[in-house]
Amino acid sequence: MDRVVDIADLKVVKDPGATLVTYSLGSCIGVAIWDPVNLVGGMLHYMLPESSISPEKAKANPAMFADTGIPTLFRSVYKIGAQKSNLVVKIAGGAHLLDDNGTFNIGKRNYVTLRKLFWKNKVMIDAEQVGGSISRTVRLNVGTGRFTIHSRGKETEL
Amino acid sequence: MNAAKDIIECVGSIQPLPDTALKLMNVMSDPKSKLEDIVSAIKYDQAVTSEVLKLCNSAFFGLSREVTSLEDALKCLGTAKVLQMVMSIHTNNMLAREQKGYGLDPGILWKHSVAVALASSQFAQKLRLADTNLAFTAGLLHDIGKVILNEHVAEEFVEIVRLVTDEQMAFVEAERQVLGFSHEEVGAMIAEKWKLPVPIVQCIRYHHTPSELEPLSPLVDAIYLANTVCLLLGIGIGADGLCSRADPSVLERHGLRESDLEIIGVQVVVELRRVQSMFGDTSATDHEDE
Repeated sequence: MDRVVDIADLKVVKDPGATLVTYSLGSCIGVAIWDPVNLVGGMLHYMLPESSISPEKAKANPAMFADTGIPTLFRSVYKIGAQKSNLVVKIAGGAHLLDDNGTFNIGKRNYVTLRKLFWKNKVMIDAEQVGGSISRTVRLNVGTGRFTIHSRGKETEL
Repeated sequence: MNAAKDIIECVGSIQPLPDTALKLMNVMSDPKSKLEDIVSAIKYDQAVTSEVLKLCNSAFFGLSREVTSLEDALKCLGTAKVLQMVMSIHTNNMLAREQKGYGLDPGILWKHSVAVALASSQFAQKLRLADTNLAFTAGLLHDIGKVILNEHVAEEFVEIVRLVTDEQMAFVEAERQVLGFSHEEVGAMIAEKWKLPVPIVQCIRYHHTPSELEPLSPLVDAIYLANTVCLLLGIGIGADGLCSRADPSVLERHGLRESDLEIIGVQVVVELRRVQSMFGDTSATDHEDE
């Protein structure tokens, strides 16, 4: 069954029959983590890199920002039985406008913040598809770990 | 190329905007309008009146007593909210349909339009423009040209996407090359046919290319920024994705920073959720670009 992760939202699930899906990632980033041993999956769709622009919104909804959403995602999968050493981590999104000057670079900053956080916490990315100017819909099948990206009518598997 | 001729014919036969919407827009663009003017623009439209009352009494507003008349609604919620509500009801009919050519499922173009409308009125406030309602309406209608072009992009779509992918063309540039018109230009033709106020026509015409308008218009800039934020956040975007040109000069001429965009983006996402729940619409979040 599809479990939809909205923008600024995260969901975790321990159910091999479930598929986590998030629609229409622009410069936002979708983070999917999966424990193949315990069949636990989690997905985050965050909007912006730093919660410092609106601490009260981050408190109400940590999934809006990378620096609050990513730790919350990991903590939430551990709570339902995932183990850090098992986790497979895949990400997609971080797109940008057609832009020679690098303004409006939310996508890039979203990615940099994620890399820094992962580096600090010794999390490896197993696969990623970031950048470009396309919108992406991503799915994680919690039973098989299959992670797919749909964009402009085409599906690719990472 | 027959597409251009077809498109002009299509614009010629588009249904007129309901009287209520036209009257309202005129009332809105006149700063001297009073409460009674607004009531009289709406009250003869039974469908809209009953819809407004239904929405006012929905759990969303949590009012302690029942709203039973338009006057009541305007007093309880303020004119701005009611105006925005009426415009949203009107455009829902036009924009809610599937836009297959653009890869937009039913409800998605409307969702994008409402998000841009909300962001437009926020940017209008930020730029200290007098009329945030006008900005809201311009934002709501900015992509109206897609409704017509959609019927024509199905076949030519492959070529448009090729130009965008291989030649790094912006989507509006590719539309113009393949179809003869961009959705900005077709939208402006529709708006002129509907006799919408000139500032709204300009917003529709230049929402991807605000610096091409002479003289520059802060209202057009507000709609450009609003659309940019919504594209970046992926709100209701389709096959055109983020293939719009960044125009940093808009930020420069208003002394804005990117963090201003981010703050407005956060507010828009929160407000959009409320609006969707008000219209009982949660499905629109579930079927985006595939």
